Amino acid sequence: MKSMLKRLSPFAPDQSGAVSALFEFGGLIVICDAGGCTGNICGFDEPRWFTRPSAVFSAGLRDMDAILGRDDRLVAKLQAAMKDSGLAFSAIVGTPVPAIIATDFQALKRMAEKRTGLPAITVATTGTRSYDQGASAAWLELFRTFAAERLPVEPGTAGVLGATPLDFPCLNAGALLSDTVAKLGWRTVRCYGMGAGLDAVRTASSAERNIVVAPSGLAAAEYLKKTFGTPYEIRCPWIPARTLETLSGLAGRNVLVVHQQYAANAVRDAVLSTAPETRVTVASWFMMTPELMREGDFHIESEEAFIESVANGGYDAIVCDERLRVALPRSLRDSVVDFPHFAVSGRLIEEG
Amino acid sequence: MKQAYSVTAAELAKRGVNDVPPELMSSANLVYSSPATLAFNSPGAQGFGVKRAGLAVPGSVMLLVAPACCGRNTAALGNEASLAERFFYLMQDDTDIVTGRHLTRIPEAVKEVCDACPEKPSAVMICITCVDALLGTDMERVCRKASDFAGVPVVPCYMYALTREGRLPPMASVRRSVYSLLEPAKKDPAAVNILGFFSPLRDDCELYALLRSAGVRSIREISRCGTFEEYKRMAEANFNLVLNQEARYAAADMEKRLGIPSVELARLYGPDRISKQYKLLGQAVGAEFDDSEPRSRAEDAVAAFRAKYGRRTFAVGEWLNADPFELSLSLIRQGFGVSEIFGTVGGANFVYVRRIAELSPGTKIYSNLSPTMMFYDGRDADCDAVIGRDAMYYHPSLPGVPWNDERQPFGHAGVRALFEALGDAFDGKEAAR
Repeated sequence: MKSMLKRLSPFAPDQSGAVSALFEFGGLIVICDAGGCTGNICGFDEPRWFTRPSAVFSAGLRDMDAILGRDDRLVAKLQAAMKDSGLAFSAIVGTPVPAIIATDFQALKRMAEKRTGLPAITVATTGTRSYDQGASAAWLELFRTFAAERLPVEPGTAGVLGATPLDFPCLNAGALLSDTVAKLGWRTVRCYGMGAGLDAVRTASSAERNIVVAPSGLAAAEYLKKTFGTPYEIRCPWIPARTLETLSGLAGRNVLVVHQQYAANAVRDAVLSTAPETRVTVASWFMMTPELMREGDFHIESEEAFIESVANGGYDAIVCDERLRVALPRSLRDSVVDFPHFAVSGRLIEEG
Repeated sequence: MKQAYSVTAAELAKRGVNDVPPELMSSANLVYSSPATLAFNSPGAQGFGVKRAGLAVPGSVMLLVAPACCGRNTAALGNEASLAERFFYLMQDDTDIVTGRHLTRIPEAVKEVCDACPEKPSAVMICITCVDALLGTDMERVCRKASDFAGVPVVPCYMYALTREGRLPPMASVRRSVYSLLEPAKKDPAAVNILGFFSPLRDDCELYALLRSAGVRSIREISRCGTFEEYKRMAEANFNLVLNQEARYAAADMEKRLGIPSVELARLYGPDRISKQYKLLGQAVGAEFDDSEPRSRAEDAVAAFRAKYGRRTFAVGEWLNADPFELSLSLIRQGFGVSEIFGTVGGANFVYVRRIAELSPGTKIYSNLSPTMMFYDGRDADCDAVIGRDAMYYHPSLPGVPWNDERQPFGHAGVRALFEALGDAFDGKEAAR
């Protein structure tokens, strides 16, 4: 059955992506749930939560809140928590509960802004979609809300869009990404959400160029291009060293790379740069930018489809998070090159 | 800058159980999430949440029917390979969560699960979530249909976080679920079940010996049942011993369906009150329990700790195998100080608050879930040791014990083990942290 997982467990959902994108910006984040979703997000999908105090809250919805749609109570609680907190904004992130009762997130946003006197962001995630969709919506809403002013362009300044631990499974991934972008010739690098905070978002229009490192950053990059004329390029400048080190062994083989599309493309480029005779196919469980797909690349629709594609693809090496190993044919399980993806496995690595 | 809200035991006792400050009530506020609160902010987050608890039935597997988000952390629960292989998922999409059309797929999904298992499972536990709570799904009916279709017992487990403070919270409901496969059986007067936990009591718990001294030959706990057949023999019990309030509903259901009455014991940390409780248990079951030896060992452990480390002052959390207020009261009565309690005040434990107020009126009571805990600063706290994983989060530099092992401490053996663990922590032994 297409909607079943029999070997794998679910990947990071949209609400985790939204929280991950917003985590470092100094806002009060309310997950509009009964408690379970918050436990999943904080306890599993947000590794930074364990390392620093953060303002992540559960709305603590109870059955009658959901049945009666008591948004006014939620906003009153939000107002009380925001009072004297020194936090810059509030963010309300959706889950299945508001999705079922058709919560009006626009109305929540207006009510929250009115009651707190501060900006509010709402992300209407449903818990049924993938993390990158939630992150994409959150990035877009963040820049729409705070990147309001057109500032003079500062030459040599680059913005990095789409960085979260879900795609870059290192707690210091922001610094690693910034360093690699700096080596491309940029004097100042703002890695939004992993190092660069709300002030950087407010001055986003002054960036000379944006670099989109994951599909979740693309919508915000397009928004900034449309609004301020900031050009962007898609480039994933950093992949884990231990993955890179093992790529040389793939020369001449039939390789499947499974990850977020931009990172997987970066691996393909790395392999082909030294071994152009290698056949490399990219596949992703997540959002894919059609223009960046090459012949044979494919989106993975289900576990069942993944198993079938791998079995029939003639691949002799798979570059993917090792968590996917259990869904591979036994003959291929020893041919996995580990390419950690936190959104898949919830596994962090250390590097740098 | 705001401060974390607290109230002294004296103030709280004076206000009474019907006038608990709103700052201590999770329903009146957003619920703060910190690593200190993870275990009780989510019915599936850590330890034995609904998902893992539902698999307490030997040989069972679980089908989680939910949006992907509800199954996400199961990957963490499944780090143990044998557990990971027992979880399956039927993921709901946007249309499912509005229309409930996923329900028609469940029988086929159950069959696919059975086909995917190397051996036919003893039961398929179906875990459903807030989505079906709001849809008003009649899961009993769906499970019957799935059972007929797949030829295997199918049992619902309700992971309804929305009802956490309701009449039947998820962790009480799942306890009923895991015993629901028991069928009426001939009673064995020498058999007793221990209900309440999903992992066994510590092997050194005196309760086993006391029951045996009263002629009990079979003491069954679900976590010690290695096979489904062994589990089914729990239906033979003469009575159930309920060691956790969350098992009350399951016990009542077993009494109704299987005719097994129950006796409830509380987990206590005061040797005198533990003895009193055993005496009452003896009266209830027509036996006399002699707990003098384990009691003496427990009291010796307390005395040895006190002699070596003095009258320490503790911060006590609630992410631990104890009621934080009962444990605090016991510590105070044994000559220690308790400067802070991180706990959830309610009708059941307010009696301890009143006694603490008499003996230690200045003890501060915090709610882990209060939004103001964002501003908690432990540097001003007047304590030099901690008990509880959450308390350790607030005071990372102080010696202490998490005291939330899966092996359940109980009775005098629990007291002894706690003070031995505290001694290890003060000696800097790694294991105690």
